[in-house]
Amino acid sequence: MSLPALDDIATPIDGVIRIENAPRERATPIIMEMMRSVYPHDEVFGEYCTVNDYVDCPPDELFDYLSDTRSLEEWTYSLRGFTPTDEPGLWLAYDRLGSETEIYTRTVANREARTVDYHCAWDQGRHLWMIYLMRVVDARVVLNKPGSVVLWTNCHHPFYDENPYPETAPPGRPVWVGDFWDMFGAGHLLELKNLKAIAEYRHRNGLPVTPAWMS
Amino acid sequence: MTETTPRVAALLPAVSLIDVSTYLPGRPISADYYAQFADTDDLRDNLMFRAPRFRHHVAEDETAVDMVERAAADLVDRHGTDTLADVDVLITHTQLPDMPFYGGGGAVAHRLGMKPNWVIDLHNGGCAAFVLGLKLARNLLASGEGRTALIAVAQNAAGQVFDQVTVRRKAQAAVPGDGAAVGLVTTSDCSPILDVECRTYGEYAGDMTIAMDPPRKWWQAGPGEGCIGFTDAKITKVLARGNRQVPEVAYAVCDRIGVTPSELDLLVTNQPNRVFLRNWREALELPESRHVDTFDECGNLFAAGIPVNLDRAITEGQLRDGDVVMMAAFAHAGDFAGAAAVRWGGRTA
Repeated sequence: MSLPALDDIATPIDGVIRIENAPRERATPIIMEMMRSVYPHDEVFGEYCTVNDYVDCPPDELFDYLSDTRSLEEWTYSLRGFTPTDEPGLWLAYDRLGSETEIYTRTVANREARTVDYHCAWDQGRHLWMIYLMRVVDARVVLNKPGSVVLWTNCHHPFYDENPYPETAPPGRPVWVGDFWDMFGAGHLLELKNLKAIAEYRHRNGLPVTPAWMS
Repeated sequence: MTETTPRVAALLPAVSLIDVSTYLPGRPISADYYAQFADTDDLRDNLMFRAPRFRHHVAEDETAVDMVERAAADLVDRHGTDTLADVDVLITHTQLPDMPFYGGGGAVAHRLGMKPNWVIDLHNGGCAAFVLGLKLARNLLASGEGRTALIAVAQNAAGQVFDQVTVRRKAQAAVPGDGAAVGLVTTSDCSPILDVECRTYGEYAGDMTIAMDPPRKWWQAGPGEGCIGFTDAKITKVLARGNRQVPEVAYAVCDRIGVTPSELDLLVTNQPNRVFLRNWREALELPESRHVDTFDECGNLFAAGIPVNLDRAITEGQLRDGDVVMMAAFAHAGDFAGAAAVRWGGRTA
C-alpha cells in the first residue's frame, strides 16, 4: 500500500529518480555512471567542504568541549586570543592566517542534536557569514563502538569569493579568507585531526575533555 | 605485496619485454549477431555490458594451443624460429584450457618447438595474467634461470562459453572477444621491465562464479548452460573494486620508478568495458590519446587485452622508443591486480 506521495505534482519532475519511474535495471546504470575511480577536487570540495572523523572520546564530553567557543583556541590551526566582546556570546579572536586579522565567533549549540555551529566572520561581528556546521554523533549508534563521530561541513558562501565589507579590513592586508577555500578540505581535516588527538589524549589519560582553564 | 628494492634491482641483470605478437581469430563478428538472439535482460542497459561493435570468436575446431601458435607467428617472423627453440621459461595462461585437468603449457611448448626448463601455467592471473607473467619471467631470468622467457595467453571463452545457445541471448555474451598473444622476455636492457606490482585480494576469490540453472558442479552433466553469475549487487562491487585496484597498483609502480602517472607515455589496461577504461584514465590523469584500447573492435579480451593493445600501440607507432608504458589490470571479481612498467626500446629483431 503506497502513500499518496507526490500526488500534488501533476507532471513528473525531471531528474527525480524513484523506483516507480526508474526500476532497478534503469537506475543501476545511472548509479554506475556516477561511480568513478577518482573525483575532481572541485566536485568533492568546491561547493560544500565536508570532513569527518572518528574520535575516541564520549560524545557528550566532546560536545561540551566543542560548544565552548574557546576550544577553538586549542584545536584550530590559527585562531588565537579569544576574548569576550560587549555583546553576550560574541567572541573576538585573531586569525593568524591573515596578519592582524580579527575574527568574530558566536557558537550556536544544540545539546539534544549535538550540533555545534560556529558563526564567524573576519574583521567585523555584525554579519557572521562564515558558518562551520559540526555534529557529534554517538559512535555506538553508527559504528557500533564507543566514542564519537564528528561531521563537519562548510558551505561556499559567495562572500568567500569577494569580501563584502572591505572597509573593515586592516589596510593593506594581502589576503582574504576565501583565498584559502581550495585548502579548506585539507586544512579542516588537519584541524579535525588536532581535535581528535587532543580529545583522545585527555580521555585516555583521565583528564577532563574540557580543560580547567575554560571553566 | 612485494617490491624490488633499489639495492636489489641494481644487482639484478636487466630483463626486457622485447616484443609481443598477437592473433585475433576469424572475421569480426558484429553486434547484430547478438541482436537476433537477444532476450530481455535486466542487465542489457547496464554500462558494464554495453556491447562493443565487434569481437572475434575462436573457431569451433580451434584449440587454445592453435591460438598461441598463430599468435607466435609474427614473433617467429621477426626473431626467427631459433628464438622460440631457445626459450628457457614458458609461462602460459589459458582462459578455458583445452583440457580442464592441466593447462596448455606442455602442448604449447611442444607445438612451438621448445624444450624449456620451466613451464608454468598461471590460472590465478585472470585479466592481469600478462602482468603476472612479466613478474615471474623477470624474476626467474634475473635469478639466472635462463635468458629467454615466453609469456603466452589465450582468451577463448567468447566463441565457446558465451556463444552457447542460451547464453548468447544474455547481455553479458556480447562483451567478450577472443584473442591470443605472446610476449618475449629476455635478459637485456633494451626494453627494461622497470617494476611490477602484483596484489592478491583473496577475500574476493569466490565472487566470480559459473552459474547454471538448475545448479550443478561445472563438470557435472545437466541441462543448464554455464554463464558468468552476475547480480546487480555483485556488479557494483566489482566496479568499485576495479575502480580502486587498477589505479592502486599503477600508482605503486609509478611511485617506485619515480614517474608521475600523468607523465606516463602510454597506459595499457585490460578492457572489461568502457566505464573502467574511462575511470582508470581519469584516475591516472591521462588523456584518451595515451590510453590504448580496442574495446569496440575486440570487446573484452580478458588476459589478452594488455598484449593485444600493446601490440597495436607498437605497430601503429603510438608507443615510441624511450616511452614508458604502464600495463595494469585486475582479474575476475577483483581477487588479483597487477601493474608493470616498461621503458620501450623499440622492436628489434
